Amino acid sequence: MDILPQLIVNIIIAGAIYALVALGFNLIYGATKFFNLAHGVIAAVGGYAVFYFAKTLGWNVYLAVIIGVLLAGIAGYGLDKFVYLPLRKRKASNMVLLVASLGAFTAIQAVIAILFTSQFKTLSYSVGTQRIFEIFDGVITQTQLIILMSVALITAGLILLLYKTRFGKAVRAMSDDEEVAKIVGINTNRIIGRIFFIGSAIAGLAGILVGFDTGIEPTMGLGLLLKGVIASIIGGVGNIYGGVMGAFLLGFVENFGIWKISGEWKDAIAFALLIVFLLFRPKGIMNK
Amino acid sequence: MNALEIKKLVKHFDGVYAVDNLSLAIEKGKIAAVIGPNGSGKTTLINLISGIVPIDSGVVIINGVGARAIKPYNVPAYGITRTFQEVRLFNQMTVIDNILVVLTERNVFGALFEKHSAHHLKRVEEVLIKVGLWEKRSALAQSLSYGQRKLLEIGRALAMDSEVFLLDEPFAGLFPEMLKIMVAAVKDLRASGKTVVLIEHNMDLIRELADHVVVLDSGKLLAEGKSEEVLSRPEVMEAYLGE
Repeated sequence: MDILPQLIVNIIIAGAIYALVALGFNLIYGATKFFNLAHGVIAAVGGYAVFYFAKTLGWNVYLAVIIGVLLAGIAGYGLDKFVYLPLRKRKASNMVLLVASLGAFTAIQAVIAILFTSQFKTLSYSVGTQRIFEIFDGVITQTQLIILMSVALITAGLILLLYKTRFGKAVRAMSDDEEVAKIVGINTNRIIGRIFFIGSAIAGLAGILVGFDTGIEPTMGLGLLLKGVIASIIGGVGNIYGGVMGAFLLGFVENFGIWKISGEWKDAIAFALLIVFLLFRPKGIMNK
Repeated sequence: MNALEIKKLVKHFDGVYAVDNLSLAIEKGKIAAVIGPNGSGKTTLINLISGIVPIDSGVVIINGVGARAIKPYNVPAYGITRTFQEVRLFNQMTVIDNILVVLTERNVFGALFEKHSAHHLKRVEEVLIKVGLWEKRSALAQSLSYGQRKLLEIGRALAMDSEVFLLDEPFAGLFPEMLKIMVAAVKDLRASGKTVVLIEHNMDLIRELADHVVVLDSGKLLAEGKSEEVLSRPEVMEAYLGE
């Protein structure tokens, strides 16, 4: 059986998942200029919120998804409000913020493990049997199709938000020069708070969809974060288009790389790609 | 009536006083030039008034409203705007967006769902024509020449329609044609009753434009008064202007 069609489907799905993480990560990086490592664990917050509301409490799964996305957004907003904002007010460097985000990542991951145990869990049981679609000779599940549609919708939504609204203009201005943005009357801390909410809600959705696709565990955030960050760096960190392009390039290289060899090589290939970009095009595909 | 008053303003960095117990008053509708040697506290003064650096002590009174702690994003609400010695624009945005962004509504729903009103677009057109950049409106700010960047920065300030304009060396490095545009813009501000505080080194321009001159030295007020009178003082000429 020819595996090429399935390989192509796998590339698209992997790229879409990485893109979901990279979109929120890039949005936050663009506004704050620091690597928010806690972004990964926020994805886990979304996944576990759906697990709790849909599977433990038995609520309607769609309602649980909405709550999960909102909770992830609120968690991100809260992190900014109570951790990053006080640090920014104390003129903390981006390195300090990065370390703080690593601390937040570890702490939230630990809390999730305490509340839900470290055991792997599935979400898909609660939505019944997954429908499977055949595209040419490859198969794609209903969840994976939703992941693809989500990426398309969120990318389009973010582009509209950033380039077609006055809020977006303020975000882009702040991304260019935060001090001048303040001088022209933009309350940058408020904007950053909203950006954290939006970016984290997207991360939460990523965690939920990955949860439906493959399952959840407290450490799921790290893997998602690493791939999202690699996608952001090779696409052009802070750049919305770049993040999506980087994600699909990463999915392509990873999955083609393991065509003839063991799947264990996937991460090694991903990081090799990162190193190649850091050496030869450190600003990524989109940033000059 | 004074548009801007400063009372006993103090700012020090690691024990070095950049602004030292400075008191000043700038009359409404006038152009005041702030001069002094490098390190005399001119830019720090503007940074304090615009909230870029926090005030250690003292008070700034803008159009009768006193402020001890000024948040930069509230500066437009006080009726103040500024430009920078090193031009600072939103480089990744187009010329037109650099102006439109200052006309952004501050409420969430307005910012998200409203389009720019005809009034805002008209204002942008007026400003860009005035500074000679209307033809460049779709270009990215980073693609402009140095002089064009300076003109766009003053254009952004004009669009804010403030009462007090703090301009940090607006004429430096401009070619004659652009200098003419900039001088005309500053004169127009005075003609329309706005107040301009100008940091400048070019004495000919100061004589031409300034109604009032303030001389700073080591963060202290050395002299102030009508421009011709201050600029003719031997100690000012000798110590700071090298004439």
